[in-house]
Amino acid sequence: MSALSAVYGIIARDLTRTTRQTSRLLGGVARPFMWLLLVGAGFNAIARVEGSLSYQAFVYPGIIVMAALFGAMLMAISTVYDREFGVLRLMLASPAGVTAVLTGRALAAAMVGMIQGAIVLAFAPVFAPVSLEDMAAAAGALALGSMVSSILGLLVAARLRSVENFAGVINVVLFPLLFVSGALYPTAGMPAPLRLLALINPVTYQVDLMRHAFGQPTEFTVALDLLVLSSSTLVLFGLTTLLFDPEQRFVFKEGKSEGVKE
Amino acid sequence: MSGSAPAIETDRLGRDYGDVRALDALDLRVPAGALVGLLGPNGAGKTTAMLLLGTLLAPSRGAARIFGHDVTRDRGAVRRRLGLVFQEASVDGLLTVAENLFFAARLNGLGGRAAGEAVARALEQTGLTARAGIPARQLSGGWRRLLDITRASLHQPDLLILDEPTVGLDPEHRERLWSMLEHQRRTRGTTILFSTHYLTEAEPSDLVVLLSAGKVVASDTPASLRKTIGSEVAEIEGPGAEQLGEALRGLGVVAISLRTERGWRVGLRGPRETVVELAGTTPGIERFALRPATLEDVYFARTQKISQDPKKQANK
Repeated sequence: MSALSAVYGIIARDLTRTTRQTSRLLGGVARPFMWLLLVGAGFNAIARVEGSLSYQAFVYPGIIVMAALFGAMLMAISTVYDREFGVLRLMLASPAGVTAVLTGRALAAAMVGMIQGAIVLAFAPVFAPVSLEDMAAAAGALALGSMVSSILGLLVAARLRSVENFAGVINVVLFPLLFVSGALYPTAGMPAPLRLLALINPVTYQVDLMRHAFGQPTEFTVALDLLVLSSSTLVLFGLTTLLFDPEQRFVFKEGKSEGVKE
Repeated sequence: MSGSAPAIETDRLGRDYGDVRALDALDLRVPAGALVGLLGPNGAGKTTAMLLLGTLLAPSRGAARIFGHDVTRDRGAVRRRLGLVFQEASVDGLLTVAENLFFAARLNGLGGRAAGEAVARALEQTGLTARAGIPARQLSGGWRRLLDITRASLHQPDLLILDEPTVGLDPEHRERLWSMLEHQRRTRGTTILFSTHYLTEAEPSDLVVLLSAGKVVASDTPASLRKTIGSEVAEIEGPGAEQLGEALRGLGVVAISLRTERGWRVGLRGPRETVVELAGTTPGIERFALRPATLEDVYFARTQKISQDPKKQANK
């Protein structure tokens, strides 16, 4: 009960904060449309991907994933900000504990990612018309993908102590995740090392799942995409929990190895 | 188990940061409802001690219990009875005052009506009701601090740990803050452990613990600590201060003497008439004042002893 209440409180706070940072929110919505309209239209004139598919239609599922990826991962800046200004310590000192704190944080970031992705998805009739059923499948893919992205963001933020550091590190993480995911171009023809990176990149499976929803050619089965994304969610969450609060691990080790005196 | 247990009980509690021994071995027993001042210079180990008791740091050695609950093994139970105020105010400037309190309520497991009632009560008691709807970033430093303490007290903890709660506050806000804390002690029996550099704030404490370089150098009631300095303190300034100090030591009336920037501060025991007479006849005394001993005298006496006597420290 205490943990649920804390999770709710953290989600409510993070969403309230997000709605009050309108420029950040608008930037997050504008970014995917810039890609679609500027880069997409430019490449449309020179490239046809996978047979007769226009580049803009091909890239559209990837841009939905990109919107969610950026929206969810960049939310982790709040965690670094909170660490820098002491609010994180307040959360970690609450009875709820680190798992509840990270759950609240991850859910709030996933919601923001989903909303940003959903805004792009709402323009499907313009860029890649699909049935309502397919739209629902895309929304499902968006939800799962946003969850993985939000935890990836928290993983990056887990040990960073300043907002400036986060700004520097996140770009180095975000763009490779996007560029070797198949969101903007197929990864099948890439050199072997990049191809390997694509295969271990969870965003690759988000894009693939989204392409399934849009009836586009895909690389993996839906079952494999779902399996990779759900297991990534769990593994990344566990890793983030371990990295997030080193004192907790330390206590556990100390209590066992030295036996804290009664 | 925890009903009659002391609010705080530590057994050789210590913490290292790499090779640095931030807190050596803290032995502390604080009964429920007590007001305890943790004093010491910067880097003495006060914050480390508070973070250890607040379950945010793991001990390198020793143990600590809060109302009978071990701070390493039973953190959940400890945290439910704790309210923490850090050196920097943990207030979210983007949220309103009321939203900050609702957030704190949720973190501490209060939901729905219970949270609403707790926030309304806290706003009223603190005098923040009129400011409830404004963003916290618009509050002055004093009000932000009061909001921070209200936030820590919202779930009515049995123990409040406050790390330099009054730093940077004007006298009016300090007064308001202490009156808030005193009200909590009186009405709820809340135990309060605080650190401060304003030593007069520690005078009403039931127990004062003085730390220096990670070690406890004094621990007693303020009155008992003041007694160790002597019945009165003489402040002596001028070129003849050294000579007068020597003379007083020769008389055997000096409990403790400390060199200050402008002369000597001497803790006296014995009849003041002899001392006054001697001061009047010693040449080169520009200022001689007698006053009751304070915690500040204890602070300087104990912390300078540690920092000025490295040989003794090494031998320990």
